[in-house]
Amino acid sequence: MIPSLGNFTLWLSLFFAVFQFFSSRKNKNIKYISLAVIFLFFSSLISFFLLIYSHVISDFSVINVVQNSHTTKPLLYKIAGVWGNHEGSMLLWMLVLTLVNYFIFKLLNKKNSSFILKTLEIQAFIIIGFLLFTIFTSNPFLRVFPAQLEGLGFNPILQDPALAIHPPLLYIGYVGFSAAFSMSVATLILNNKKNIFWYNYMKPFVIGAWTFLTIGIALGSVWAYYELGWGGWWFWDPVENASFMPWLIGTALLHSLIIVEKRKSLQAWVLLLAILAFLLSVIGTFLVRSGILTSVHTFALDPSRGIYILIFTALLGGYSLILFGVKSRKFFDNNYFSSFSKEGSILINNIFMTVVCATVFLGTIYPLLVEAFTNNKISVGEPYYNSTVIPIMIPAIIVMGIGPILSWGKEDKLKILKKIIPSVLITLIMTIAIFLFYKSYSILGFAGIILSFWIISNNVLNIIRKNKAYSMSMFIAHLGVGLLILGITGSSVWQDEKIVKMKVKNEIKIKNYNIIFDQIVEIKGINYIAVRGNFLVRDDEKKIITKLKPENRFYPITNIFTSEASIHSNLFRDLYIVLGEGNMANGWVVRIYYNPLVIWIWIGSLLIFLGGIVSLNTNLKKLLKW
Amino acid sequence: MVKQILIIPSIFFLIIVSIFFYLLIIDRNPSEIPSNLINKTIPFFETESLFKNKKFISSEEFGNEIVLVNFFATWCKPCRDEHGYIKKFQSKEKLRIIGINYKDDPEKANAWLKDLGNPYSDVPLDKNGRIAIDWGVYGIPETFVISSDGIIKYRHVGPITKKIYKKINLLIATLKLKK
Repeated sequence: MIPSLGNFTLWLSLFFAVFQFFSSRKNKNIKYISLAVIFLFFSSLISFFLLIYSHVISDFSVINVVQNSHTTKPLLYKIAGVWGNHEGSMLLWMLVLTLVNYFIFKLLNKKNSSFILKTLEIQAFIIIGFLLFTIFTSNPFLRVFPAQLEGLGFNPILQDPALAIHPPLLYIGYVGFSAAFSMSVATLILNNKKNIFWYNYMKPFVIGAWTFLTIGIALGSVWAYYELGWGGWWFWDPVENASFMPWLIGTALLHSLIIVEKRKSLQAWVLLLAILAFLLSVIGTFLVRSGILTSVHTFALDPSRGIYILIFTALLGGYSLILFGVKSRKFFDNNYFSSFSKEGSILINNIFMTVVCATVFLGTIYPLLVEAFTNNKISVGEPYYNSTVIPIMIPAIIVMGIGPILSWGKEDKLKILKKIIPSVLITLIMTIAIFLFYKSYSILGFAGIILSFWIISNNVLNIIRKNKAYSMSMFIAHLGVGLLILGITGSSVWQDEKIVKMKVKNEIKIKNYNIIFDQIVEIKGINYIAVRGNFLVRDDEKKIITKLKPENRFYPITNIFTSEASIHSNLFRDLYIVLGEGNMANGWVVRIYYNPLVIWIWIGSLLIFLGGIVSLNTNLKKLLKW
Repeated sequence: MVKQILIIPSIFFLIIVSIFFYLLIIDRNPSEIPSNLINKTIPFFETESLFKNKKFISSEEFGNEIVLVNFFATWCKPCRDEHGYIKKFQSKEKLRIIGINYKDDPEKANAWLKDLGNPYSDVPLDKNGRIAIDWGVYGIPETFVISSDGIIKYRHVGPITKKIYKKINLLIATLKLKK
């Protein structure tokens, strides 16, 4: 009953989406359109809740529930399991998409009706595409007969609170860019004859999408750090890249929208970025879910899905980019500016972001290109990304430190030189202090620390000087970037790692800590059993500063072993212990990591997110005013 | 001039999309993952055996004839699917097959083999997955072809299908010829 109803609501959504497409296309009565938009949202909301319901009551007549759930699963993960699999995640994707659609509709007024209606028409087209995909290739409401007695289980490494909210946040990001895409295409189609301030409408969506994408990526990273037990937090996996690319383009878009808003320059460029941000989100989805690439992220693979998404991507991308090629000339302007100005610095940053994105894109698809042309298999890993991305990021960050203090149009170089002397001094002092503390020298370490304090000191000084052009959101977000760089540098340059075999009561030293393997105990969790090692951590003065308790879990239902790292964090370093295999007689394999400054990665990301929220708030208020 | 530049993004896009199409349509096997172990001797391991009361020591078991190594587990659904082919390797091709039982319960493994038939000449147990790590196993099932001098010649990730069955037989035939 419930699953059939779910299936019905999917078709209902399709009906309303088609209705919205035609009624907004023909500029029908607003009442019709509002009905379509609202019903569309509610029908996707209902189908989403019906699937949650099926998962919560463990309805094993639904294939999706059988394949991804189990009666012993805790309630939170029964619910989060809904979007932990491909079919269910499509319903969440639809829900966010129809919600964004509703927000666009709310902007409709007499002045902008042609623009918003065109946007709604394109948005409806996107919704129809994803609905057809869901219904025909990934329907979560398919039944199995006879109903099964028990589910096949779930992937225990996905059983984690950070991962429960990571996908929804990412989807808000990806899908938020769909609004920017639709608005960009609408602007191009209409040639902006009515002089609509399309960028003002686009801006809150871009900020919202980018903000949630930021925190979504950060949470995924947090999860990888403490759940995968490899001591790292970013692995250049294709799925990570799939979220990183729209983020880079989104960053460029976000900043160049400011130029368009203030100076009416670079309109064509912004229209292109808006198209690319969403296209990259969809291509990312294609790469991850078609099985064309292998990755640690486990989604069920099905080539027919790949073909479908690819056709849809080709339609969206082909149409919008050709449209851009034909019509964007009308959006060129003659508002020139010097490269040493606020616009100049933003444009330079835009170019760097785009180049980084192209580099990451090339690295991600390079194995596919090589295979298509030579039939060889290769893989592209961390060394490629480190040696290409870092050198491009360094000048981008130098520019980022100085950009905010430049004025619009043109800037006097001497004046700026005077302004930055204090921050240069602070940067130098802090860098020397840090290196005296860690006593380990490397070029990358120097570069990272200098850049980090360059950003931090410029930010703080500008707030102290009460620079008018300096908004709160920018201060918070840029400060976050500075701290993020600090964390990234510290954790990659000064990391120390020890892999040893330890018996109970053995002791090992890492940096200035003594780690004592105190005892090993067996424990029973809600749907797993585990051995837990108790480790005492002593500092130089033999004082016990913490107890670490890494676990080695076994989930009998799926026969999967996972390791739960145990981490002690403070502002200077993380101590990270993973318990490997072993037994009482021979001892246990223990991996111990000393990861400096990791916490600043999370604090930095959180600040960037908060900056985004503040900016979203101001921009929404601005939009509501007129 | 400007007009030509503006059309570049769409051209790039269409090229990339066509490459994706080509890769989706051609008969491609994304699970054929290159292994660093190809053409190298097998990693050493020593573990209990499922049937025998003596230790399984890899250095004593390989190096005399062509051997198939198959990682399997009773909880893995695709392993059940490919089992028919594994049996065929044994009954029709007369190959020696070693089945490494991955993260499994020995009792369940015994029952499973009784139920589906046992093509394995020996089943070493990899209770905690250590052997699989040394072999660079991605996910089970996985199958390796080991030449008569104990060198890894081929690796397949995922269940054996009709096509892979033929491919492995062809490979074994050429290995025998070279000899």
